[in-house]
Amino acid sequence: MSDVRMLRLADVLVNYSTQVQKGEWVGILGDVSALPLLREVYRTVLCAGGNPTLFISDETMNRIFAREASEEQINWLDPTQTLYIDQADVFIRVGSSTNTRAMTGIDARRVQAINVARRPWLDRRLTRAAEGKFKWVGTWLPTDASAQEANMSLEEYADFVYGATFCDHDDPVAQWLKISEMQQHKVDWLAGKRDVKLRGPQVDLSLSIEGRTFINSDGKHNMPSGEIFTGPVEESVNGWVRFSYPSIVGGRAVSGIELHFHDGKVIDAKAEQNQDLLYAQLDTDAGSRYLGEFAIGTNFGINRFTGNILFDEKIGGTIHCAIGMGYPETGSLNRSAVHWDMICDMRTDSEIWVDGELLYRDGAFTV
Amino acid sequence: MTDVRLQRLADVLVQYSVEVKRGDWVHLGGDASGLPALRALYQSVVRAGANPTISISDEFMGRTLLREGSEDQLAWVSPLETLLTDQVDATIRLIASNNTRAMTSIDPKRQQHMQLARGPIMETIMRRSAEGALNWVLTLYPTEAGAQEANMSLEEYADFVYSATFCDREDPVAEWRKVSEMQQQKVDWLKGKKHVRLQGPNIDLELSIADRVFLNADGRRNMPDGEIFTGPVENSANGWVRFTYPSIVNGKAVSGIELRFSEGKVIEARAEQNDDLLQSQLNADEGARYLGEFAIGTNFGINRFTGNILFDEKIGGTVHMAVGRSYPETGGVNRSVIHWDMICDMRTDSEIHVDSELFYKNGQFIV
Repeated sequence: MSDVRMLRLADVLVNYSTQVQKGEWVGILGDVSALPLLREVYRTVLCAGGNPTLFISDETMNRIFAREASEEQINWLDPTQTLYIDQADVFIRVGSSTNTRAMTGIDARRVQAINVARRPWLDRRLTRAAEGKFKWVGTWLPTDASAQEANMSLEEYADFVYGATFCDHDDPVAQWLKISEMQQHKVDWLAGKRDVKLRGPQVDLSLSIEGRTFINSDGKHNMPSGEIFTGPVEESVNGWVRFSYPSIVGGRAVSGIELHFHDGKVIDAKAEQNQDLLYAQLDTDAGSRYLGEFAIGTNFGINRFTGNILFDEKIGGTIHCAIGMGYPETGSLNRSAVHWDMICDMRTDSEIWVDGELLYRDGAFTV
Repeated sequence: MTDVRLQRLADVLVQYSVEVKRGDWVHLGGDASGLPALRALYQSVVRAGANPTISISDEFMGRTLLREGSEDQLAWVSPLETLLTDQVDATIRLIASNNTRAMTSIDPKRQQHMQLARGPIMETIMRRSAEGALNWVLTLYPTEAGAQEANMSLEEYADFVYSATFCDREDPVAEWRKVSEMQQQKVDWLKGKKHVRLQGPNIDLELSIADRVFLNADGRRNMPDGEIFTGPVENSANGWVRFTYPSIVNGKAVSGIELRFSEGKVIEARAEQNDDLLQSQLNADEGARYLGEFAIGTNFGINRFTGNILFDEKIGGTVHMAVGRSYPETGGVNRSVIHWDMICDMRTDSEIHVDSELFYKNGQFIV
């Protein structure tokens, strides 16, 4: 008997997040460990009249590739992926893991090289999404490995995931529509504003959002969601931030990250743990020292750090910034093979001012 | 600890069967229950310097599509399938199952509808294969379900599979080359011959192979392999045969089959079990009552019947015939929607004479 909450999650993904229509070409992506949810998504897509294509991956094969592939092999782009990203209508990705630390022994530069080679896919996907031609959503299926990563049992972690996605409610879609309305109010308020100043024990940063658009992230692209985000003006960022939680790259945690910005560029960076990874990320390409995203998390159903960015970045009462690739629909011009989020807690003695008005204090909106 | 025989199987398939070369585009396909084999194959392909595309399917979703898909959804062919068929250099297809009887209640008409839509894909595979542009091979990974179907434990069944593929030897490729050489000698001897007569307790049959070509099935297309086969002259079969083992159609066994031929055509047919299935197969179309294949199995590593034609038809000391479609490369011109193999034991008091010379006796070649 399947967990009814998982059936609801499949329904939310297909009928709310991506609203699959008859005849649409729908890619369903995920690791073999996500099979239970992939099966439900597949069935729900069929019910909606879509044509599903499965892309089941395997962490072991990914590691074989990361360890053993030659430069030629890394730079080869699978034509089936290219065709899919060029022509499909929908992308539904289920994340999951059987071992969140299995990449620990893999050289970070090789992982980086693979990401760089595949950047055209990311660019194309985001561009088509911005044009309204590609609907995409990513979600997460609880496994023992992720529960372990989050210091929980599987049943606690499943409660956490289904709580964050509102799939523990009879009608999760109604909940997402409420969040959407609340966030839209903030997005409307921010339209046409310019200067953002963040102050608090962990942050003293200013940036411009002039001409940029805030997006209401209401469960259409991420499930769970609950954030509003934009791409700051690339050369406008000045100041300092210390991120409260570790940021994960290739399965490894980089903790205690501090960044100094000058005219948009990260000019000084340090981390307490895995600093070499931080540098590898920052030095990936020309865009990886600039911010591609600035966002405010609003999901108070996510009340703890679990080491998974899909959840962590939406923690109610936090903000996050991503170095690297920006989302074109925000007006961001930054391009990079990296998009790496870092989260800063704003729940204590912290404020956000916008054009001289107080927008946010101690984790809650004031407008 | 991976079974060393599995790694050998992967290497045989990659290095011998489809001879993957550096830079080749290789398609690996199979059910998720064959994951250990898919991983071994993936690694072997990466090590050969080639570019793998992996298609992991799931029996459960396959059934969902067959049960719940609309006619349009059943007939929809993913553009990726077309692209792969048109362009890959090699395909390795792995049979693996969690439940060999799970399709029992599925309407065969819906399966046929789906297969029909994939006709052009099959044609492209055959054409590119005949042109030498595509190497493909079919193999099997032993699972509990496969073992159960064969009335064995998993460890016995694994022994059976790896022995049949010579992967229980240190150098399976050397074994396959030996088989290839032995079979080539028979194929060469048969060149230009005309008349074949089979006699024994289960058989009294004559047929013509005038101007037809015997093919050396030496592990390039099937793994395991071990047979030489041709398409007999369509109107030449006369006599009688009783098949020793059940023949499977849509997962159902038809046993105790006896056929009587006159001028190539089956004029009398009966089976001890599932006779209705036998009759419906023979009445499928015009070509279904004529032989499309005559073959001699040479693999003495396969010493028992397991209900899987990939193995059964190669049993050393047996001959098999298929009613229905012939392979064009043999010179056979029989056309039919069916190709159904039936196996006859020749190990006791049985002989094959070719142009009046004794060619084969009690399961062994004489020439």
